[in-house]
Amino acid sequence: MGDDDASFADMRRLTDPDADPLALDEETVERLLAGDLSPSQAPPAYAQVAALLAAAAAEPTPDELAGRPEVLAELRAATRTPRRGGAHTRRAVRPRRRRWAGLAAVALVGALVTGGAAAAASGNLPGPVGHAARSILGTIGGGLGTATTTRPASSPAPAASGPASTGVTAGPKGPRSTGSTAPGSGPRGAAGPTAVPSKEGLCKAYLASRDKEQGKKMESAAFERLVEAAGGESGIPAYCDGIHPGDPKPKDKKQQPPGGGQGPGQGGSPPGGDRQGQDQPQSTRASNR
Amino acid sequence: MIGPEFPAVLEAAARGDEEAFGRLWHDLQPRLLRYFMVAAPAAAEDLASETWLAVVRGVDRFRGGELPFRAWVFTIARHELLDWRRRAARRPIEDSPIAGLIDLAAPDDPAAAAVEGFSTRAALAVVATLPADQAEAVMLRVVAGLGVDRVAAIMDKRPGTVRVLTHRGLRRLAERLGADARIRRVV
Repeated sequence: MGDDDASFADMRRLTDPDADPLALDEETVERLLAGDLSPSQAPPAYAQVAALLAAAAAEPTPDELAGRPEVLAELRAATRTPRRGGAHTRRAVRPRRRRWAGLAAVALVGALVTGGAAAAASGNLPGPVGHAARSILGTIGGGLGTATTTRPASSPAPAASGPASTGVTAGPKGPRSTGSTAPGSGPRGAAGPTAVPSKEGLCKAYLASRDKEQGKKMESAAFERLVEAAGGESGIPAYCDGIHPGDPKPKDKKQQPPGGGQGPGQGGSPPGGDRQGQDQPQSTRASNR
Repeated sequence: MIGPEFPAVLEAAARGDEEAFGRLWHDLQPRLLRYFMVAAPAAAEDLASETWLAVVRGVDRFRGGELPFRAWVFTIARHELLDWRRRAARRPIEDSPIAGLIDLAAPDDPAAAAVEGFSTRAALAVVATLPADQAEAVMLRVVAGLGVDRVAAIMDKRPGTVRVLTHRGLRRLAERLGADARIRRVV
């Protein structure tokens, strides 16, 4: 059925009672959709429809409101990232600005990554964060005993010398921590000042995996986090732009990954800015269910 | 609907205020779940979770009022749905059995429909029997509570097309529910 064309014949058939006993005029359609017509007020052929629509738009049930703690945990994890002056301060009084701008923030993160790597390898990071950190370090550093040696994962500030958007999770896709939906299964920064081995570590691992000579395969869990943070596989080169392994061994090959766009369905950058940013005329009443 | 407090709620939520974000969630989660229930019942909760992940990540960059915000969230939701369909290589919705929901609807049971009315789940199950575009248009108008222009933007269609889709959707619902001979037809 060609649903894309609002042909005149279609509309006439739909609105002309002589042609069709189920015809509705446009105003009645709008009122039905808005819930302005009770079953007894609706055209008789649509009384049941009115009841159905009312049920579809009914008040939330307890079941539907069940997942709240999980999403708040996500929010907590995403916002509890290290920042200037302390990890746990709320941003309540800060002016609204790009959070990771400024070299100071970059240097701080660089230092934290270093410290984080050491902490991870020595087992001082808690639970799932520590596990994830170790798995990433294992990928790029070749094992747990690497914290005390200079390895790419632990290289300090020079690696964080990229654009101001470098940071734990920054980038055009938003300064949020990456992570899968399973609670506690990813490096969310939930450990406070011990930075997660996220952007820098992931990018280095990715670049290392692209290196034909070294060719160390990146762990799939880590790769997924990178894809998520970058908003899709094809976004990784841009996302990791400015990250250098900092070590002569892994080559800095920013290759375009094949296929692209096959990320875990996060849909990349939410299309918030474009069409939806401006207020469109509201063409119906009662959008206030 | 949050109403006049929305700008303050959004601002607080963007700063990580959990109570504020909880209000956004309270308003939108049931709508999202129902939207996904119609199009992807088995994956509805997961898709809603994925949507919230993206909302959490982007909320501090969103600018706009309550309805644009809601439209933004449903744009994300739609992308999640499309991604899910691609990944799962689903057949068109018309061909898919809406497992587990059809028996709840019992639209062919006139007694149930006439006496008890519809439960939300039953109502969604019936909407789910519509062609995918009609179902989606109806859900975005009725459950997401968005106007024609916003729904058109979300669905990437012209407003006129959205009007036809909802019109046809309601008509088809009437036909389906009116299969019971006790519903009088307008002559």
